[in-house]
Amino acid sequence: MRWLHTARIWRLPLLIGLLTLAWLVFPFPGAKAATTRHITLDASQFAFSPGRVHVNQGDRVVFTVAAQDVVHGFYLDGYGLKTRVEPGVSQQIEFVADKTGKFRYRCSVNCGSLHPFMIGELVVGSNTPFWRATGLIVLAAIGMLVYLWQSGRVQEMKQDGTLQSSTP
Amino acid sequence: MERRERFAIAVVLLILIGLPAAALGYQYWLRPALSSTRMIDIRAAAPEAGGFQPDAIQVNAGETVTLRFSSTDVTQGIAIGPGLGIDLGHVDPGQVKEITLTFDHAGTYTFYCNSWCSPDHWRMRGIVQVDDPANPGALPTSQRDPVIEALIAEGVDIDDNVHTDDHPLPVISLDRVPSVARGEMLTSTVNVPADLQNAAWRRSHSPAQALDLLIADNPSMGRAELADVIAYLWSGGLSAEQITAAQTLYNKNCAACHGETGAGDGPVASSTENNPVIFADAGYMFTRRDDVLYAKIRRGGMGTDMPNFGTLFTQDETWALVNYLRSFSGTGQGPLGDAH
Repeated sequence: MRWLHTARIWRLPLLIGLLTLAWLVFPFPGAKAATTRHITLDASQFAFSPGRVHVNQGDRVVFTVAAQDVVHGFYLDGYGLKTRVEPGVSQQIEFVADKTGKFRYRCSVNCGSLHPFMIGELVVGSNTPFWRATGLIVLAAIGMLVYLWQSGRVQEMKQDGTLQSSTP
Repeated sequence: MERRERFAIAVVLLILIGLPAAALGYQYWLRPALSSTRMIDIRAAAPEAGGFQPDAIQVNAGETVTLRFSSTDVTQGIAIGPGLGIDLGHVDPGQVKEITLTFDHAGTYTFYCNSWCSPDHWRMRGIVQVDDPANPGALPTSQRDPVIEALIAEGVDIDDNVHTDDHPLPVISLDRVPSVARGEMLTSTVNVPADLQNAAWRRSHSPAQALDLLIADNPSMGRAELADVIAYLWSGGLSAEQITAAQTLYNKNCAACHGETGAGDGPVASSTENNPVIFADAGYMFTRRDDVLYAKIRRGGMGTDMPNFGTLFTQDETWALVNYLRSFSGTGQGPLGDAH
């Protein structure tokens, strides 16, 4: 039967595709329990301190933003949170970090000439898409080598002298 | 020259000259001509970059004017005072906020920035001089303040808290931070002299002086308890709205140096000539008279970086602010009154 034969050809690509999908979306084990994190963000011309904040997914994050010189703002991309901070009067922003990924927080009040560069990063959860993609590329490279070996291409290349081998 | 070449030159000239002419012509000629009121453009920049331009404007009493505020560098806040209650909010660069108003009598008003725009933010002020059209040549008279005049007549040194090596900070020792709430409960059991029950007397005398009188009249009571009673007497009796208004004024104008909790630890405190006064220090605040605090806010500090706010705040606002300052050391009834 013809359709069974076709399915046989597509069996391997289908398997690889399914494994890739599983690799990209399957949750990593060992996720940490959610806690409350109190983080003090000092805003001054023209940087936030700390400039990068790591939290785990599900954490309740309490940012205390304090302006150290002039009026600054705080806007968190992705979560759409915004506040305005006068020097001397700190502001609190509280939210649950339910979205994973890397989000920029930036000054939302025009505080001076380098205001557009006043940016920091909030990293929620480990940056798994990056590491998963890296792993996938490494696996694909190994798979390709194995495939080349299996298909006899390596032997041909050795015979052609394209690929030098120390083993006889 | 070919016809098409001439046409091209005409198009280029039209863009180079016509476009700016149209934009500037609208800005400086057409819009003022179409407006029913006199228009005054005021460009705001941080004080280091020039401040308000112009920083003084002249109008006649009864004349309706439109003031257009714009910012050329950072986000500014625009307010006009005292006593007008005009706060245009934030003006971002590229944004224009305008207000049409009529000054009904002669005098001087201040337009000022109320958003910390730069280290020298507090210098950013401009003057509205309102002339009487019936008497155009008259110079504006300086605003009289009976409280400050009385202090000068009495010979009180408003700046005696500016401490140096040979002039220590005036302070008395208290066993604990006085509490308004404890004082309120105790006050019926204490023999309070008539002077202390008089609001005018309390304004012109320090809590420390009053404490000595109270101790003399109540020898059986402890000093700490009597200090609580003094704290209650000096708490001002403001309404919740007045306290909120005073807190807003404090946070916008004072907190940058004196700190949100009156601890003298605001973020700009490190750049001032003298350390900002610590309102949370009850022993120091007990040596301060209400009218001296009032005078200091309105006139500013001599030889220090304390600006004058008499041209921005009304007298009632200033008195409410004095009571709010006392709340930091437990002697007032502000939100922090008994938190210490």
